[in-house]
Amino acid sequence: MNAMLLYPRLAVNGINKNRRIYLPYILTCSGMIMMYYITSFLTVSRFVREMKGGEIMQQLLFMGCGVMIVFSAVFLFYTNSFIIRRRKTEFGLYNILGMDKRNISRILLWENLMIFVISMVVGISCGILFSKLAELVLTKMLGGGASYAFNAEPKSILHALVYYAVIFLLILINSLRQIHLANPIELMKSENSGEKPPKANYVLAVMGALILAAAYFMAVYIKEPLSALMAFFVAVIMVIGATYLLFISGSVAVCRVLQKNKRYYYRTNHFISVSQMAYRMKRNGAGLASICILSTMVLVTLSSTICLFIGEEDMLRNRYPRNIIIDTYSAEEAVTSLIHKAADDVLEKYGETPENVLHYSYYNITAAFEGNKVICDAEKVKEISNTVNYDIRQMFFVSISDYNRLMDKAEVLSEDEVIICTVNGDFGFDTIAFDGYKTFSVKSKAEDFVGSASAMVNAVESVYIFVKDEAVIAELSEQQLGIPGEYHSRMHDYYGFDLDCDEDRQAEIGSEILEKIMAVKSEQGENWKGVSFDCAANDRAEFYALYGGLFFLGILFGTVFIAAAVLIMYYKQISEGFEDKAKFGILQKVGMTKGEIRKSINSQVLTVFFAPLAAAGVHMAFAFGIVSRLLMLFGLTDTGLFAAVTLCCFLMFGAVYTAVYLITSGSYYKIVSSRE
Amino acid sequence: MPILEVTNVKKTYTARIGAAKVEALKNVTFTAEKGEYIAIMGESGLGKTTLLNILAALDKPTGGRVLLDGAELSKVKEKETAKFRRDNLGFVFQEFNLLDTFTVRDNILLPLVLMGMSYPEMEKKLLPAAEKLGISELLDKYPYEISGGQKQRTAAARAMITEPKLLLADEPTGALDSKASDELLAIFSKLNAEGQTILMVTHSVKAASHANRVLFIKDGEVFHQIYRGGCGNEELYKKISDTLTLIASGGAV
Repeated sequence: MNAMLLYPRLAVNGINKNRRIYLPYILTCSGMIMMYYITSFLTVSRFVREMKGGEIMQQLLFMGCGVMIVFSAVFLFYTNSFIIRRRKTEFGLYNILGMDKRNISRILLWENLMIFVISMVVGISCGILFSKLAELVLTKMLGGGASYAFNAEPKSILHALVYYAVIFLLILINSLRQIHLANPIELMKSENSGEKPPKANYVLAVMGALILAAAYFMAVYIKEPLSALMAFFVAVIMVIGATYLLFISGSVAVCRVLQKNKRYYYRTNHFISVSQMAYRMKRNGAGLASICILSTMVLVTLSSTICLFIGEEDMLRNRYPRNIIIDTYSAEEAVTSLIHKAADDVLEKYGETPENVLHYSYYNITAAFEGNKVICDAEKVKEISNTVNYDIRQMFFVSISDYNRLMDKAEVLSEDEVIICTVNGDFGFDTIAFDGYKTFSVKSKAEDFVGSASAMVNAVESVYIFVKDEAVIAELSEQQLGIPGEYHSRMHDYYGFDLDCDEDRQAEIGSEILEKIMAVKSEQGENWKGVSFDCAANDRAEFYALYGGLFFLGILFGTVFIAAAVLIMYYKQISEGFEDKAKFGILQKVGMTKGEIRKSINSQVLTVFFAPLAAAGVHMAFAFGIVSRLLMLFGLTDTGLFAAVTLCCFLMFGAVYTAVYLITSGSYYKIVSSRE
Repeated sequence: MPILEVTNVKKTYTARIGAAKVEALKNVTFTAEKGEYIAIMGESGLGKTTLLNILAALDKPTGGRVLLDGAELSKVKEKETAKFRRDNLGFVFQEFNLLDTFTVRDNILLPLVLMGMSYPEMEKKLLPAAEKLGISELLDKYPYEISGGQKQRTAAARAMITEPKLLLADEPTGALDSKASDELLAIFSKLNAEGQTILMVTHSVKAASHANRVLFIKDGEVFHQIYRGGCGNEELYKKISDTLTLIASGGAV
């Protein structure tokens, strides 16, 4: 036989004999490469770029590419270390039969090379095949037409080739390092070397429980989305840490505590399960915690991106209650008339009339509430916002005449009376006292106010205060201006209207109004107070690109994460199977029936398998509040929709997970009950 | 009445490829009285382990029957064999077969736990057994922390804690050094002196020389047996090795 061919043959043999572990590995590698290629293809696709909002989409996808590479590297490293562990015995045998480590390295080199080539060919071919589909889906999301031209992207292929070659090289180096470190005897028995019993670290376990409780507390009790954003990141990190602590130390500690209770422990159904669970958790704690976190991430990403995508139109309307909105940072007639005139002139030119006009003045401050006391002092508010027990709300002051006009009411108020309308909060007092100023009596509570539809209002707890007239507001604002501080609020003039024409024309009108306003700005010079201008039609494409892109990435990563979780579970089960086989035999000899053994192992495997899913479910339940408040920042206020989507995602994920469990436990029993 | 009656036991395996039949046991017949200490000898691959598996109800004979204390093994239902084993039999294996995940204490208690005994009762049995086997100090250690001899004594403690009708030992000294072997054999002799019936499969002459009776299996049949009679261990040792030489050279006894 040709000596040159010896190593490739041994490599083929090695892969073939270990099909059960190599096949899923090759599939994963191919899958990762395919996903990378598709993402990369879309980032450079000219067709996507030329669409409205395509560039934003491509920026998002570009980041997605980076995440894919990092994730692939970490994940393939992890799975490969599992494979090497399983194959050490085989290499030990080669070593004893007279191969030195250089020879073994050559086999490994060949194996890795073959797997790389196979994965690359399969991955890229599938990638090219599905990239067109992905492109069609993407353009559909952006609301554009489709081109059916089919093409491959050499640049993306090259990138995939280079990046994954580097990853494979790193994996190879790592395997070689592991083989070189070990001597043959160790190689031979590395799989069943006497394992130290797991020690329970009660301190870490208790710490994990406390951190988790604190994180859950934060997630549930933080009401205000802006501070929620910061708290969310802190809580996420705490939850990740706590999950690892609990899965690694907590689980072993629980087993140990159970073992100390002799009456519980020395029972037929508990004895074997409890003692073996301690070992299983020691070995798998970190892996299970990773799966739990991956699953939680998948669920959060999927449910929130799906929700954002479905709720897109609603959000758009929330964000832009009218097609065109001009918010002038001044309510002085001299200023507002110029702005309104600019808008009306353009409308006249186009022959359009403003519809659904929403016009009122308001005064806006952020204040801290303590019972019925309202603190407006910016410094104090800032101070209070750093404490846990704060209640900070946006306050909008509107004159009763605006209220009556817009809501079609006929309320009459005296100087000392107000009507209150709360959004996302409650105010249960008969009087409202402004700190250092005066106390108003609350005449009644209004159910609703047209302005409250706006996203900014909805995102936080807000209070509308309707007062007798603008003079009252002016006095109040003077009072506030008198307080030293960096931030002062002003009166706003809100002017919004809808247009009865198509998107393109709306965008055109919008741009022209903006131009006119800019002209006013340069005329005014130093007296310019500022205007915020929104034209929904102009922003729609970007909006769609952003949420469509997020949705697309959500699906992409969701799939990749699920594949990862599934593979980790599969490998776990297989390796457990090889380890449990010996125990299975011993227990049978000692007098356990096959049924009893099966039952005991089954209950352990079920626990191991479904603990991460259950924990992910609990994490999700506690995260629900905070995530839905974060979605409000995006303007998504439909909590019911979010709840439904989350539940659906969880159920679907659970179904996939269960399917994998069934498939895996099948191969598990095959291994355990096979005779040598 | 003998405690164990093995009559015309036969076991044939069909090879996976082709119809070639392998006869592991052709026709084995012997009996064991209560309190006897029997060693079964024979060369490797001649069906000793098959015989033991049949006696342990782990395997069923193709023909013949085995009576343990009057109960026929092949009539015990599949589901009940496990219970039958743990109630009536104790095992000591060459490879110890201790569970790594259990301490020495838990390994010994395993059969009692499977029987569903209450913990205080187990405790009462555990200490004397550990004492007898000289492993009282090791109860909280794990198998990987103790020597081979200690592991085998743990396995012996596990086998006898249920006070089985029959203690089956499969090459119990096979993985032990000579000092540990001596210790274990001394323990077996002591257990036997206290009335424990022991059946040991071995091809160590030394191990066999501790028994009261030695059966030789050749070509799937009991070929010969030696009774201790009044002679000491060394004398018996010599008799056994003479017999083995004879068998090996193909002569008749």
